[in-house]
Amino acid sequence: MTNTTSTSQGPALEQEGPIKKFFRATEIDTRILGMVVALILVWCIFDIWSGIIRPNEGLFGGSFLTPRNLWTLLVQTSSIAVMSTGMVLLIVLRQIDLSVGSMLSLVAVATGVLQVYQLGPSLGVGHPAIWVLGVVMCLAIGTIIGAFNGFLTAYAKIPAFIVTLGGLIAYSGVAFLLAKGETVAPMDQNFSVFGGGVERSWLGPFWSWIVAFIACAAIIYAIVNGRRQRQRFGFPLRPVWAEVFLASVGSIVMLGTTLVMNSYAWPPKLIENFAKANSIVIPAGIENKDGKAICMAAENVVRCTEGFILYTGYSLPALIAIGVCLVMTFVATRTSFGRYVYATGGNPEAAELAGINTKWLTVKVFALMGFLVGVSSIISSARLNAATNALGQTNELYVIAATVIGGTSLAGGVGTIYGAMIGALMMQSIISGMSLLNLAAAYQNMVVGGVLVLAVYLDQLYRRNVK
Amino acid sequence: MAKTPAKKTTAAKKISKPVAPETHETPVAVTGSQTFKQTRAQPEGIPLIEMKEISIAFGGIKAVDHASINLFPGEVVGLLGHNGAGKSTLIKVLSGAYKRDAGSIHVEGKEVTINNPRDAKGHGIETIYQTLALADNVDAAANLYLGRELKTKMGTLDDVAMEAECRKVMHRLNPNFRRFKEPVMKLSGGQRQSVAIARAIHFNARILIMDEPTAALGPQETAQVGELIKQLKAEGIGIFLISHDLHDVFDLADRLVVMKNGKVVGTASTKDVDHDEVLGMIIAGKCPPGAIPGPGAMRN
Amino acid sequence: MKKTIIAMMAAGLALGAASMPVMAAGKTIAVSWKTFQEERWKTDAAAIKAVVEAAGDKYIDSDAQGSAQKQAADIEGLIAQKPDVIMVVAFDSDAILPSIKAISDAGIKSIAYDVQFEDPNALYITFDNVGVGRIIAQEVSKLKPEGNYAFIKGDKGDPNATFLFQGMMEVLKAGIDGGKIKNVCETFTDGWKPDNAQKNMEQCLTSTSNKVDAVLSENDGMASGVVAALTAQGMAGIPVGGQDGDLAAINRVAMGTQTVSVWKNSVDLGKTAAAAAIALADGTAMDKIAGVAKFNGGKNKVEMNSILLAPTPITIANIGVAIDAGHITKDQACAGVKAGTVEACK
Ligand SMILES: Nc1ncnc2c1ncn2[C@@H]1O[C@H](COP(=O)(O)OP(=O)(O)OP(=O)(O)O)[C@@H](O)[C@H]1O
Ligand SMILES: [Mg+2]
Repeated sequence: MTNTTSTSQGPALEQEGPIKKFFRATEIDTRILGMVVALILVWCIFDIWSGIIRPNEGLFGGSFLTPRNLWTLLVQTSSIAVMSTGMVLLIVLRQIDLSVGSMLSLVAVATGVLQVYQLGPSLGVGHPAIWVLGVVMCLAIGTIIGAFNGFLTAYAKIPAFIVTLGGLIAYSGVAFLLAKGETVAPMDQNFSVFGGGVERSWLGPFWSWIVAFIACAAIIYAIVNGRRQRQRFGFPLRPVWAEVFLASVGSIVMLGTTLVMNSYAWPPKLIENFAKANSIVIPAGIENKDGKAICMAAENVVRCTEGFILYTGYSLPALIAIGVCLVMTFVATRTSFGRYVYATGGNPEAAELAGINTKWLTVKVFALMGFLVGVSSIISSARLNAATNALGQTNELYVIAATVIGGTSLAGGVGTIYGAMIGALMMQSIISGMSLLNLAAAYQNMVVGGVLVLAVYLDQLYRRNVK
Repeated sequence: MAKTPAKKTTAAKKISKPVAPETHETPVAVTGSQTFKQTRAQPEGIPLIEMKEISIAFGGIKAVDHASINLFPGEVVGLLGHNGAGKSTLIKVLSGAYKRDAGSIHVEGKEVTINNPRDAKGHGIETIYQTLALADNVDAAANLYLGRELKTKMGTLDDVAMEAECRKVMHRLNPNFRRFKEPVMKLSGGQRQSVAIARAIHFNARILIMDEPTAALGPQETAQVGELIKQLKAEGIGIFLISHDLHDVFDLADRLVVMKNGKVVGTASTKDVDHDEVLGMIIAGKCPPGAIPGPGAMRN
Repeated sequence: MKKTIIAMMAAGLALGAASMPVMAAGKTIAVSWKTFQEERWKTDAAAIKAVVEAAGDKYIDSDAQGSAQKQAADIEGLIAQKPDVIMVVAFDSDAILPSIKAISDAGIKSIAYDVQFEDPNALYITFDNVGVGRIIAQEVSKLKPEGNYAFIKGDKGDPNATFLFQGMMEVLKAGIDGGKIKNVCETFTDGWKPDNAQKNMEQCLTSTSNKVDAVLSENDGMASGVVAALTAQGMAGIPVGGQDGDLAAINRVAMGTQTVSVWKNSVDLGKTAAAAAIALADGTAMDKIAGVAKFNGGKNKVEMNSILLAPTPITIANIGVAIDAGHITKDQACAGVKAGTVEACK
C-alpha cells in the first residue's frame, strides 16, 4: 500500500501552548483537577467564614482548615465514600441501588442485636470473638442481600430501580422489626474501634508515616513500572519531567495528608487519662499559651505549648476508606472484572456478544455493592456506638449524589472511583462546613442539592467542549 | 511520512493447508424431505459448518424459516438477500447471539449446542456483526481482547501487551490508525469497523462470519479487506460473507446463498450464475438453472 | 376494707397519695382500645386491670383493631353491658365523638385515655408533653447551673422539636438572661437521626474548641450520637439530657454518660386513669378528682377536665423505677456498668 504525505487520521495536531502541552504530557484529567480546585476553594471559604463568626486556629483564622476538622471530615466522609465506590461500578453498569441506606440500617441493626443481645450476654461483654463475628456477619449479610438484589435484576429481569426501591422500603421494615424500633447500644468495645472514636482506632504518627511511605513507594513503583512496560514495546513515553512531576504530586499529597493527620493532637481529656493510666508525669505549666500539649497548672490540666502531647495520625475508618478507594480503583482498572463492568456499561449487547456473562456480572457487582455496604455499616455503627433503624436512612441519596458529583454518568459506561471519593468529600465538606457555621440542616440540604445539579451541568459543558 | 510496510503475516495461526474448493456433479440429499439434483454447486467432503432447517421467529414474524446452509474449509459463501431477508438473524443463530426455535448446527459433521456467544467462540466461530458490537467507551485494544484479556503473571490486565498486539493487527488492516488511547466512540465509522474486523480475525478463527464488513470502509480499506479475505481463505478458514455488493460477492465468494423472507431461495456456485440471475433470485425469488433451489424458491 | 386499702395504695402510687373518698366495690370499668397491635397498649391494659380488680371492681375491654367503625360498634357493645365508666383510646379523635355522646346519653362517664377527643363531658388523661423539655432542662441545669450549653434539636419539620425547645427555654431563660448560661450551638437534626446528631455535635465541638459544658438533646436516639461525639473527645460524662426512656439511654444513664432520660411510663398512665375511673364510678365529681385541671390546648380549644401526668425523669438515682416497672431488665440497664457505682445495679 502507499502512503501519501499526510494521511494521519484524526485531526491534525495543532501548535499547542505550554499549558496544553503540560496537560497532554502529564495526562492529568482536567475535570478532576477542576473538582479538586473547587474543593479547596470551598474549604477556604468555610475557613474564612467560620473565622469571622468565631476565630480559631485554622489556616485563615477559622475552624475549617484545622487538623482537627480535616481529620474529622475524613472520618465523617468514610462511610458514604466506601459505598460510593461500589455505586460507581453499579451506575457504570447501567444499574442503580436505591436500597443501600436501608441495607445499611438492616446490617447495622443485625450486628447490633447479635453483639448486644446475643453474644454479649452469652460470651461475656468484650469477648474477642464478638467483634470478629460482628464484622463477618456485616460483610456476609451485606453481600447476600446485594447478590439477592442482583439476582432479581439480572435473572428475574426486574429493573434495578424497582428491585432496589422495593428493597429501600422493605429492608428498613426488617431493620425496624429486628431492633423493635429501639436503639441497640452499646456496641462491643473492640468492634467500636472501627468507628474512629476511641484511642485504639488511631494509628499514631509512627505508623501513619509508615503507611505514607509505603504509599509513596507504591506511587513511584507504579510510575516507573508503567514506563518500563511501555518501553518494553517501544511505545511513546511521557517526557521524564512529566513522570517526575506526577510522582512528586502524588507523594506530596500523600505526605501532606499524613502531616495534617499527624498534627491533630489527642483531645486534652484523653491525654490526661492516658497519662494517668500509664503513670506519666504531666509537666507543670509555665504558661497557658493555648497550645496543643497539656500541662499541670495547680490542680488543673491546661493546654500549653511544651508539655505532654500525643498525636492521632490516621483513624481506622479513614484508612479503611482510603484502602477501599485504592482496591476499588485497582479492581476497576486493572482486572478483567472491572473491564467487563465498563464494557458492559458502554454497550451491554456488545459485551454479551463478546462472550461476557453479563447476568452473572450484574449479580457480582450488586454483591460487591452489598459487601461495601457491610463495610460502611461496620464503620457507621461502630462510630455511633449504637445501631438503630434510623442509621443509614437516606444514605442512598448521598451515595448516589457523591457518585454523580464525582463524574459518573447515569447513562452508564463512564465514571471513576477517585472521582466519587472527591464527590463524597465535597458533599461532606459542605455539610460539615455549614454545620460549623451553625446553619440548619435545611440550608445544608439546599446547598448540597444545588451542588449536585451544578456539578452535572458543568460536567455536561465540559464533555461537550471536549468533543 | 515513512512507514513500515504491513507484514504479510496473519495474526491468525495457520491451522491447515489450503483446501481448494472442488466442484462435483453428484446427487446430494439436502435438507428435509426434498432431494435436489445436485449440480456443480457443492464441494466434497465434510462441511465445516452445517446449519439444518433453522427457524426462528420474533413475535409473529418468522425471521428465518427452515433455512439450511453449509460451509466448507477454505470456502467463502456469500449470503445475499433484500433488507430484512433474515441474513443477519440466521448468522446470529450460528454465532450464539440468538437461540434458534428449531433446527440443528453441525461442526465438522458433529452436532453441537450453541446457546450463547461463548459456545460459538469455543468452536472457533468469530463474527463481525453488522452493528459492529463494540463497547464504545473503551479503547481499541480493550475491544479487541474483550472477554479474553491478556493477563500479567500477577493476574492483572496486561494493557501494554494488549495494546502492542492491537497495534500489530490494526496495522495490517488500517495502517494509518493511530488513536489507540481513545475510546472507540471517538473513532470514525471505518476505523470502528476495522477494530471489529481485527477482533474477529485475531483469535485463530476457523469459521468467520462477516456481516457487511465493508459497509463503512473507504475504497482503499475495502480493497484491503478483500485481500484479507483471500488470505484467510487460503489458510483454510471458512467464511460467511454477507453483503449487498454483488461485485464483491462475485469477486470473493465461491458460492452464494440467497434468502428472501426468511427462506433460502437457492444456492449456487458463483461460476454458474451471473449478476442478473442473482438479482432475480434476490428480488423475485426466481431460481435460475445454475442454482439449487431452496424452500423459498418461487414455484411455477 | 382490705380491698379499699389495696386500692388506696395502688391509686396512691400513681397520684402521689391524694386523699380519696371511700369507695364501694362492684362497679364496672370498661376500656375501648384502638389496637393491640402495638406492644405498649398491653402494658397499659395490664396496669389498669390490676388496679381495677384490686379495688374489687370489674374490668372489661374491647380491641378496635385499628378501625374507627369497629371502635364505634365496640363502644355500643360496651354500653349495652352497662358499665360505670368507659375509657376510650380513640383511633380517630373526630369520628369517635358520636360514640362519646352515646356514652354520656346512657349516663355513663367517659375518659379520653392518652388520645384527646374534644368532648367537654369527658376526662382527658395524658402525659404533659410540653413538660418534657422542661424536665430535661431542669435535670441538666441542676448539675450545671452555669456554662456553655449545646442544643441538639429534632427535625425542623416536626412541631414537637419546637415544643421541646420551648420547654427547655422556659427553664433556662433566667440563666441565659443572667449570662450564666450561654447557648453556643443550636442545630436542628435532619430526621431526628442519631448519625446526623453525631456530626452536628462534632462540628459544635470543633467550632467551640470543646468549650461545651452540657448538651440538651431532644431525644435519646440523638443523645446516643451526642455521647459518641463527646466520647471521641474524652468528654463523655458532661451532663447530657434526652427523652423516650430508650433502653440504651437508660444504660447510658447507669454508665454515667447521659444525665437524664425523660420517660413516659405507661404503667403510671394506666394506674392514674384506673384510679380516676374508680373515683368517677364512685360518684366523685370530675373536677374534684385529684390532679384535675382545666385544659384547652386541643385542636378546637374545647375546655376539658384533664389530668396531665408528669413524665418520670430517669437519672442515675432512680434507675430502679424503670427496672421495677418491667420497662427494662436489670441486666440490660446495668450492662457494662462498673460494679458498685450504681445503686440499682447492686
Ligand atoms: N431482535 C429482533 N426482534 C424482533 N424482530 C427482529 C429482530 N431481529 C430481526 N428481526 C426481524 O427479522 C427480520 C430479519 O431481519 P435481519 O436483520 O435478519 O435482516 P437482514 O437480512 O440482515 O437485513 P439487512 O440487509 O437490512 O441487514 C426482519 O423482519 C426484522 O425486523
Ligand atoms: Mg443484516
